[in-house]
Amino acid sequence: MQLGKSKPAAGVFFDGDFSTIDSLLAVSVLYGLQGKNDCRVAILTLSRPNLAVAGFTDAVQRFYHGPAGNFSQLPPIGMRTVGSAGDTSPAFTVPFQKKKPDGTPVYKNDVKSVIDTGDPNTLIRNYLEGQYDQNAFFVLAGPATNLAEALAFPGIADLIAAKIKYLVFSYSEARIKADVLAARKVLAEWPTPIVACGSEVGAALPFPGACIDKEFAAAVPDNPVADAYRAYQNMPYDATSSDMAAALYAGRPKEGCFKLSGPGTLSVHDDGRTSFSAADNGKHQYLIVDPEQKDKVLHTYVELASAKPVPPKRFKPDAVVVQEEKKPAEPPK
Amino acid sequence: MITKKALARRTFLRGAGSAAIALPFLDAMAPALASSAIPGKAPVRMAFFYVPNGMVMDSWNPSYEGKFQELPRSLKALEPFKDDILQIGNLTHNTGRALLDGAGDHGRCCGSYLTGVQVKKSLTEIKSSISFDQIVANEIGKQTRFPSLELGMEDARQAGDCDSGYACAYTNNLAWRGESQPLPPILDPRALFERMFGTGQPMTPEERSRRSIYRRSILDFVTDHTHKLESTLGPTDRRKLDEYLSAIREVERQIQRAEHETSQIDPHMDKPYGIPADFGEHFKLMSNMIAIAFQADQTRVVTFLMTREGSSRPYRELDIPDGHHPLTHHRNLPDLMEKVRKINEYHVRQFAGFIEKMKSTQEGGGSLLDNCMIVYGAGLSDGNAHLHEDLPTLIAGRGGNYIKTGRRMVVRRETPMCNLFLSMMDRMGVHMDKFGDSTGRLEGLDLS
Repeated sequence: MQLGKSKPAAGVFFDGDFSTIDSLLAVSVLYGLQGKNDCRVAILTLSRPNLAVAGFTDAVQRFYHGPAGNFSQLPPIGMRTVGSAGDTSPAFTVPFQKKKPDGTPVYKNDVKSVIDTGDPNTLIRNYLEGQYDQNAFFVLAGPATNLAEALAFPGIADLIAAKIKYLVFSYSEARIKADVLAARKVLAEWPTPIVACGSEVGAALPFPGACIDKEFAAAVPDNPVADAYRAYQNMPYDATSSDMAAALYAGRPKEGCFKLSGPGTLSVHDDGRTSFSAADNGKHQYLIVDPEQKDKVLHTYVELASAKPVPPKRFKPDAVVVQEEKKPAEPPK
Repeated sequence: MITKKALARRTFLRGAGSAAIALPFLDAMAPALASSAIPGKAPVRMAFFYVPNGMVMDSWNPSYEGKFQELPRSLKALEPFKDDILQIGNLTHNTGRALLDGAGDHGRCCGSYLTGVQVKKSLTEIKSSISFDQIVANEIGKQTRFPSLELGMEDARQAGDCDSGYACAYTNNLAWRGESQPLPPILDPRALFERMFGTGQPMTPEERSRRSIYRRSILDFVTDHTHKLESTLGPTDRRKLDEYLSAIREVERQIQRAEHETSQIDPHMDKPYGIPADFGEHFKLMSNMIAIAFQADQTRVVTFLMTREGSSRPYRELDIPDGHHPLTHHRNLPDLMEKVRKINEYHVRQFAGFIEKMKSTQEGGGSLLDNCMIVYGAGLSDGNAHLHEDLPTLIAGRGGNYIKTGRRMVVRRETPMCNLFLSMMDRMGVHMDKFGDSTGRLEGLDLS
């Protein structure tokens, strides 16, 4: 007998600075999971004011989601409007130059100015309100700036506590250092469990770049993420995959792809370094690479990221029946 | 030193029976030698004209921002007044969305339009919130005869299921006095007229019938007082008063004509007494009375549900026998979209007639329109897709020399509609930190 109640697949909130190709691949992984009805990508938010990056991320979202249709809306990319725009990798601009045989662009950039984006706080709030309790997760793949501000935004912390089951934080020294105060605030005040995914995870699991011209090309001839991968760096190369690991763990926490530390507290130092103190009542855990699962993880990366887009349907069947959790606030096992 | 006493702002022309006609803003009401900055200044008024079922957005939104160039097809009727309107793009009502409540976008979008909350999906347990027009009415309503007026043209029933489990109270009202107290709109022009120029209570059909036998104008009852007042006014005020009373008389004639014509027509449905069969005629009557109510400062807050949300009214006057709502689910079929465009244009054409009236009515050194914020909008944008973002929103008037008009302004996507309401409340003299799901005030209305 099923003890749980059926819910739609979990909603995904993804925030990042998209400073590496890893972040785009992580988005692909999430949409791959969506195609298998393991989650629903709710919104993507950008933690730096860079219209080129927002425009390309928007194009990626449209690629996977398809056009807005009956009862199916396509949310804008949330974009921060203050701070440094940072570097703009060719990965975000070169694909727009790709032309069809008739000379028209393969990918369209619909983000011409800041009005074509949304305020991250408003978006996070609005789309949290559309989630069932404890049926969403957050992936943070960049400085914690947007999330720290969201926590200070009226009403959002309560919504996060109600709706978000856990946060998976893909961090590096550079990301912490970019906004130390924000990282501290999020680690201290985020109301649900946090699973940290350090850069060592991505370094140990290099994404097999050769699949871009094999599996990706076989699935869809024109894939913006594949074209971004080619433009990001001279091919062939294998990208690090911390953000992908965070996305994969977030979408399939019980798959056994990674090991998890015991509970504790992740602390942030001024120079961007971190330290972890084990504590039974800690609400942080961190991901550990399981060498025995490496091939499986890499295979899953490729399978999910290269999958043909499956646009969401309004009345998509429910995901698997979710077992009733006795203690939903506990760290995910 | 000039000591001439100013005419009281709340002066009525009174006569036999219950006749009482509030006066428009006259120069004689401003203290002698007063500047426009002191209390003689005309008040700011606001109104909402709501149209249902969304629009064909490619004919509503221009492809540009900033100063108006060529207006898009749906707005063409407003061409003569484009310097007096501000179109705002990207405003969103998140509370109109399903969130976790499933189907029923029409019920939600209308219920949340002025309340800024997600209404409870129920046929019996009505739950919304006080609408922002009523917050304003509560604050400033004591200064006018009516704190607010709620008008409509189609259907005021409150019970029953009007959209996928949402009670008709949500689709048939714009204004809410409290979370379970919608304010049903007045549909009957005669009832509105009697409310405005009588004791404030609508007459029964029997009383109305007795009065109509005599076919006397309300102006006949106040003739003596009118003559007395005119003798104290200067030529400009006399002209203003004459125009104002003529407008009232014209409304009376329109009502009488409508009542006569209605009595000749069997509409094959129950219609309250005196409601014109013709949509345009009905609109003109109701909107003329809004203009008079604003001119006479009888109220500063009006909501007008042009037709109820989800309306399936056919537009035979446009040779469109199909229902409006079914047509809006056009599946992007060109012939169906064309019909919806025609309905959208038709609604705006009626509105343009009202704006013409408001603009031609003088007040202070400008027009009555200058001192108003007349919002024309809908709770859905693309009616086919049931979208709740980029809601069609247009403001006519400058809100008392505040709003920078003559342009299209586009705000960031997902900007809450309630941000506009907060800013409008400021202009109405009501200051709140938050309303509904607002995230702040709407920047850029005045370009300051």
